[in-house]
Amino acid sequence: MRLLIAKYRHVFSVGLQSNIVYRWNFAMRAAFSLIHLAFVFILWRAAYQGETTIGGFSLHQTLTYFITLLVLQFFIGAFNEDYEISEEIRSGLINQFLTKPINYFVYRFTIFVSARLVSGLLALIPLILALPLIGEYLTFPPETWRLVLGLPAALMSALIQFTIAYIFGMLTFWFLEIQSFVILSMTIETLLGGQIFPLDLLPATIFRMSQFLPYYYQMYFPAAIFTGRIDYASAVQGLGIQAFWVLALLGIANFLWRRGLKEHTAVGG
Amino acid sequence: MADSALPSFIVLHYLKIWLASVRYSLVRSMMFRGDFIMWSMVEFFWMGVNVAAIAVIYQHTDSIAGWSQYEMLLLIGTSMLVQRLLMGLFWSNLFEMGRNIRSGNFDFFLEQPGHPLFMVSTRKIDLDSLLNVTVALAIVLFAVNKLGLSPSLGDIAIYVTFVGCGLVSSYAIVLLLASVSFWTIGTKGVESGYFTIYEFSRLPKQAFSGVANIIFVWILPTVVISNAPARALISGFSIPDAIWVLSSTLIWLSLGIVVFQAGLRRYSSASS
Repeated sequence: MRLLIAKYRHVFSVGLQSNIVYRWNFAMRAAFSLIHLAFVFILWRAAYQGETTIGGFSLHQTLTYFITLLVLQFFIGAFNEDYEISEEIRSGLINQFLTKPINYFVYRFTIFVSARLVSGLLALIPLILALPLIGEYLTFPPETWRLVLGLPAALMSALIQFTIAYIFGMLTFWFLEIQSFVILSMTIETLLGGQIFPLDLLPATIFRMSQFLPYYYQMYFPAAIFTGRIDYASAVQGLGIQAFWVLALLGIANFLWRRGLKEHTAVGG
Repeated sequence: MADSALPSFIVLHYLKIWLASVRYSLVRSMMFRGDFIMWSMVEFFWMGVNVAAIAVIYQHTDSIAGWSQYEMLLLIGTSMLVQRLLMGLFWSNLFEMGRNIRSGNFDFFLEQPGHPLFMVSTRKIDLDSLLNVTVALAIVLFAVNKLGLSPSLGDIAIYVTFVGCGLVSSYAIVLLLASVSFWTIGTKGVESGYFTIYEFSRLPKQAFSGVANIIFVWILPTVVISNAPARALISGFSIPDAIWVLSSTLIWLSLGIVVFQAGLRRYSSASS
């Protein structure tokens, strides 16, 4: 076990270093996210004109939700892991993992964790600078259970985000380019992950249905726990469904990896 | 006589070049039919996301900055219309321009039988985006119908002119962003910044205040692009709007061309 941790600790430190190289890319991305946040502020402020609450939540609560979403995105969101994995498969770089005692999924996940640590911390910088402007809108509920349940939810969200990206990367075994699949899925994830509007604003039946899809657990779920948009019972029940999706997606990823390798060796002759 | 023959010859010359590009793009799209279908769907879905957002927000409120649900839909449809036209006609050309400048492949365009700006801007068209122009148009027509508007031919002509101006301004902004590559040698371009800015064209002008109002309404042409045409259909022709649209289009296009030309001079001298 100690050997195992030591092995991936090196991967983690290499991942950390190589991602620090891209610090300007992350910083630029964070800056663009702040401009997007300005869009969100203008839209929702205009929508709240003449309304004190929308869907039972105040303007401040809704804006807090979007700010939380932005922070979460840089800490747990998958960025271009799908393309990187796709590139490693296409270029044959994965061959080296087939002969070494390294699990490719764990290897990539370790790099993902180190990358998100870098991007998450970097994204905090422009956000802290913008704090004088947005600080007055931040309002978090006081209950401690939200932290206790929110953190594991965020961790499982990271796993779901990464595993979906990994699954798309696996498609490279069968398809030449995966970009259109990724972007098509991104539109669904953006909508059903709650990035356009908080999912609780959906009509009740559709909202209920969305809770059984993996997208709900990609971003909305932890953000909703932290910002007080769902109650204790829904949070506990949600964690159960989320755990199911983590296992299901891991199963699919493993299946595709095994099947894909058969294709891979067939091609590589 | 000779004076008028020359411009028409030039127009014909460029039209021929453009038609050749169209033919090439058509053939290419038909060769990669799967890609064409996939990308058409991608754009279609993104438009759906924006329409869904409006539908959901209006479940809970009656107006966004004084705009009703279908007025807002008309605004969003118009914003999409301009964007799809830009994507279909110019986007990938300008995006590749930045990349070509960085890689040195830009030389190729200097050898072609037309002005480099025309050649880089019109090399190919994206049929998937142009196909989605019809979807954007359908959204606009649906909103017009729901609002009970019956625009005259004149109103429609103004709408089309304003949308055309929006296309030209958007083109100018992307040209400016792509031209930055003449000066920077970074690995990544800033062309994608356009999407972040363009997002604001889906908002009504009345929603802006303070610094945001100065930046997005008065300095950048993002808000005018969609608001002016939509307003022209909803409440008819307005002279201030027309002045606003035309002057902003003219200023941004001039700026785009001047910066591109300056970059071009720099590129030529750098590669000689």
